[in-house]
Amino acid sequence: MESLTFVRETKFIPASSSLALISLAQQGDQGAIGALYDAHCRAVFLYFHARLGHQQTAEDLTGEVFRRMLTSLSAYHTGGMPFRAWLFRIAHNLLVDQYRRESGRELIPLTNVENVGDEAVDPVSAVEQKLTMEYAYQALSELEPSQRDVLALRFLSELSLKETALAMNKTEDAVKALQRRGLMALRLSLGMVK
Amino acid sequence: MNISDNKLEEYLARLESGESLEACLAGLPEEEAALLKKAVTLNAIAESAPMPKGLADQRRKLLQAAKEKNMTPSKSVSLFNKPRSRWFFPVALTGSAFVIFTCMVIFSLMAGMLGLRWFNQSRDVVALEAPNPQSARIQELRGLVDVLNDSGAWETAEAGQVLEAGQSIRTGKLSSVALGFFDGSRTRLGPEAEMSITELDAQNTGPRVIVLMQNLGESQHDVAKSSDPASRYEVYTPSGMGAAKGTSFRVFVTVALFVRFVVDEGAVAVTNLDSTVIVVAGQTTIIVAGHTPTHPIFRIEGEGVVEQTGSVWHIAGRTFRTGSNTSIVGNPQVGDVVAFQARMVRDGSPILDRVVLLEDDATESRFSFSGTVDSVTDTEWTIAGKAVQVDDKAGIDAGIAVGDIVEVKGRITDDDELLATDIRLIETNEDDLPFNFVGVINTMGADEWIISGTTIVVTENTNIEAGLVAGDVVQVRGRIRDGDWLAKSIVLADDDDRKFAITGTVDNFDPWTVDGIEFETDDRTRIDDDIEVGDRVKVEGRILEDGTWMAGSIELLEDQEPRKFNFTGLVGSMNPWEVGGVSFTTDESTSIDSLIVMGDEVRVKGVIQPDGVWLAKSIERLEDDEEDLGCLDFSTVVREAGVNQIVLQDWQVVQLNNNIEVEGQINVATVIVVSGCTQGNGSFTITHIIVIYQLDLLPVINKPPSQNDNDSDDDD
Repeated sequence: MESLTFVRETKFIPASSSLALISLAQQGDQGAIGALYDAHCRAVFLYFHARLGHQQTAEDLTGEVFRRMLTSLSAYHTGGMPFRAWLFRIAHNLLVDQYRRESGRELIPLTNVENVGDEAVDPVSAVEQKLTMEYAYQALSELEPSQRDVLALRFLSELSLKETALAMNKTEDAVKALQRRGLMALRLSLGMVK
Repeated sequence: MNISDNKLEEYLARLESGESLEACLAGLPEEEAALLKKAVTLNAIAESAPMPKGLADQRRKLLQAAKEKNMTPSKSVSLFNKPRSRWFFPVALTGSAFVIFTCMVIFSLMAGMLGLRWFNQSRDVVALEAPNPQSARIQELRGLVDVLNDSGAWETAEAGQVLEAGQSIRTGKLSSVALGFFDGSRTRLGPEAEMSITELDAQNTGPRVIVLMQNLGESQHDVAKSSDPASRYEVYTPSGMGAAKGTSFRVFVTVALFVRFVVDEGAVAVTNLDSTVIVVAGQTTIIVAGHTPTHPIFRIEGEGVVEQTGSVWHIAGRTFRTGSNTSIVGNPQVGDVVAFQARMVRDGSPILDRVVLLEDDATESRFSFSGTVDSVTDTEWTIAGKAVQVDDKAGIDAGIAVGDIVEVKGRITDDDELLATDIRLIETNEDDLPFNFVGVINTMGADEWIISGTTIVVTENTNIEAGLVAGDVVQVRGRIRDGDWLAKSIVLADDDDRKFAITGTVDNFDPWTVDGIEFETDDRTRIDDDIEVGDRVKVEGRILEDGTWMAGSIELLEDQEPRKFNFTGLVGSMNPWEVGGVSFTTDESTSIDSLIVMGDEVRVKGVIQPDGVWLAKSIERLEDDEEDLGCLDFSTVVREAGVNQIVLQDWQVVQLNNNIEVEGQINVATVIVVSGCTQGNGSFTITHIIVIYQLDLLPVINKPPSQNDNDSDDDD
């Protein structure tokens, strides 16, 4: 695991290209809307999945984020908040709504992570994959919600420090502190899970 | 805030920038190291997590909702379309500041300004995609393109043709082609390139597999994003391979198996001999046959005026060294406009990889006029009463005799002599219109040839060079009569002489079409005012490597007065007028720039009257100081960001004003592309700043390279 390189591929999409895409999407171009979805759906899904631990709900909420994006895209100003941070602000707000709705009800346990991935994947590696993700999600579930939010946004959805701060409506310093405390807690939590 | 929060973030930023975990862990306290490992673990899990199938359903629902909500039909959308900025002005950096500014540049992102125009030409073409994941469709076919058939023979390819794994495709001179894949990825091949499809399963969901083998030439790859970790997009060459996910990159393979990978967006892992380097946007790496890839280095690309050639070139106000692998296309000379690609070597100096002639019509003391040939000797002709020097470099149509009407072009020497570079015969039959262009032979029939898509009529009187075959690049001269292009001569063209000239009637403006021939214009094309459909014009230009006819000038012809002159030079006298040693007259209709003084460089246009008098129609002062020498883009990091000014990584201060267009929000540690042009006085004018992405921390600034720290390896 230690030999892996931590690279954010999405960082290299030039802002100008993204802006052009957003502009097209604002005009209703379906190709551009689809391209925006393709570029960000995985990160949004991982965020919800990490927070909720349920794949179907995460998929549904991912779809809802982009539907909300569609209805409010015309109000998005490219000179303001970065698009990804804006999108995750929608996701964050949706998550808060979800928690409100789920208040008093039992959340689906994380160990029920299922049906992840393509059926064509080698079954042995799929099981290993599932176990690894289960470990991670279960460990994340032990964390305080804000810490979980930060770790999910930073390391699963691969948002920058600034984007994370904007999405959570916190200062960058606050995010840094949550990030450090979250990683410390995760270290303990993963140790216990294993 | 605990200081460790910042320290942790600093190490995370180093990981994000591509530094290995081992390197980051070195010397790190155990507590911090453990946290870093957890972050990497978490990210690795996310990276390897497969895409749930349900997301595809959500996508369909989203697009359905979009469709119901409005709107416009879908277009072919590319993540890589980049708006081309146009230059405004001021914020002038002095010449020396410009040098400092450029020396500290981290990297350059210039996808829109490359010299390889055949890539850019076709970017926005809406094309039919491949019918299924196991196929690729031929698109944007230009010139001669062949596909290897099952029996091992090359057959002419057709637009829309479908290829599968195991098939090969190649392009001829001045030709290009694109392959569109099912997942939206696209590969473009330049002239004289050859590529095979090794593996192909370009599915939209699940692992996408596109594996190509490029044997020769240049290619550009726009790779559609795939979130499946098992996806592969790989380009093998005889000297190494590159593997990419969603990204944009180019591959160059020479006959000597010298390979170069250039990444425009994203990142590509380039491997040879079990050694892999990660090449990120703005970087390039090269592989010499039998060696490992060189360490990736940032590059500079742009367009500009050549001020010096030789072992050291000056382009757009900058100095470049050349090396044994520098590729120079089109024999550019001082004053010509070129596109260039260069690399920053270890000592901080840029070395040229490639220079491509874009426009060879520099304003420096050129002239052209038409008139009757009065006398002819080996060294001097008299045309319309003017003595014109000729040497063995001049291109002169065969068979010109005294009394013929010719068009002569050339330059004015330092001794104020007219030195001809071209003398072309103008037919005396005014119903015929001359043409002259260089193109690729597509087909050769008994009565008709097709050359670069144009049908040419050949007769027994056509002078055809022996041994020509389809695919040869030829120069065709002749006349257009009643819509037929009658060839007078078809001969092999010099590779550096890809010019064309059409005289005909304007059919259309969008696209520009003259006598049925479409051509393109750009911001350097000089177009006479008041041209309308139906007017007779003369179009001169160059045929680009992809076969595109790019006009350099479109001149309105006045049927009643076909003999014109047009030249530039220094004003030697204003009463009577003499410019560059050429005397001429003016009258009340002559438009004369009121600011002209003795010694100014001016452009003179006019007509040669029946009595041989040169009458100027306009005398225009050339504003050297306002002329762009060239334009460049550079990336850098913002150190300080204020409302009215920003401080760049090298402490260079840029005042923001209404003349600088800023795209995006600039903050501290924002990576930006700064675009601007070098002015004739050596100053650099910033016109455009585009936000690329936001770093979490300001990068550590390296010491500026020492002038004494020379690097002798020009291919480093």
